Amino acid sequence: MIYPAAIDGNFPVAEPVQVTRLRSGDPAALAETIAFYQHRLYRYFTRLVRDPAAADDLFQQTWLHVVRQLHRYDAARSFDTWLFAIAHNAAIDLLRRRPGERLEDHEFELPAHAPDALSAVLAGERAAILAAAMAALPALYREALTLRFEEGMKLEEIAEVTRTPLSTVKSRVRRGLEAMKQRLCREQLL
Amino acid sequence: MSEHETVRSWLALSAAGLLEPAEERRVHEHAVTCPQCSAELEDYAGLSAEMRALPAPQPPDHLVTRTAALLLVEADRRQGSYFAVGAAVLVFVLVLAMGQTLRVILGDELGDQAAFVWLLGATVSSLFGTTAALVLTAARRRTERSIV
Repeated sequence: MIYPAAIDGNFPVAEPVQVTRLRSGDPAALAETIAFYQHRLYRYFTRLVRDPAAADDLFQQTWLHVVRQLHRYDAARSFDTWLFAIAHNAAIDLLRRRPGERLEDHEFELPAHAPDALSAVLAGERAAILAAAMAALPALYREALTLRFEEGMKLEEIAEVTRTPLSTVKSRVRRGLEAMKQRLCREQLL
Repeated sequence: MSEHETVRSWLALSAAGLLEPAEERRVHEHAVTCPQCSAELEDYAGLSAEMRALPAPQPPDHLVTRTAALLLVEADRRQGSYFAVGAAVLVFVLVLAMGQTLRVILGDELGDQAAFVWLLGATVSSLFGTTAALVLTAARRRTERSIV
């Protein structure tokens, strides 16, 4: 059977009114907007930096930057894309300073077994294995996968967030998925 | 590259929904006649579905409150900076105007001395004011850090 390659497009987006209120400096609007994006942004950072404390810091840094640079935001563009581009810059800046972090290895292989893979299999926690496999990918592949599958962003949006050509985004998604599939095959989960 | 190899290299992107319509058609047409690609495409489609349903990490409870508080402090600091710059410009103009007025009222010699004393006094007062502002700014930064 051939599956349709559709991605669910029903992801929440900020209302233009919300952005206008944010610009006015309304504290309630600020808290509402932060709350509105908290799960998505926190998930993005957690996937990318794999450290809850660092994700927490990056979350706050990103909003500080948003407030400082809001006058530069072009309302004709997507607020989501603008927000995630700021988040991307903050996260990549942190990862570049982190010793031993692989941003984008052209030759990489996922480890055959994550430390907790066996227990996860025994517990039937397939999602945990998937998350572990994803965490073992180089950062830029993790980012491409989370933006595509968890954020539901289009190719052009991912390219805008990560400031990379469309072909690079495609290559990262493809290689990331291929590595994940190989890993699941080795674990005999596919 | 054969059609099989070309299509095979597109399977992951097909499951991710990132192929052009013409490429997508080619994948589907080929998969109908190729059990290997069909099975692999099915694997990728299942994997993609699971990726979309990965459990999301839960943000800490305090995250929104702390971030909002930090941003309010930042807004307050920026507003304070604008006021401080405005006030400094106003005071500078007033000090110069006052010095000039003293010179005009008291005549050349006495006026020059009075203007000098006035400007000296104003400079010393400004230095005290600046020091106080810097101390307050440092205290505010400490508050910000405690929030972060």
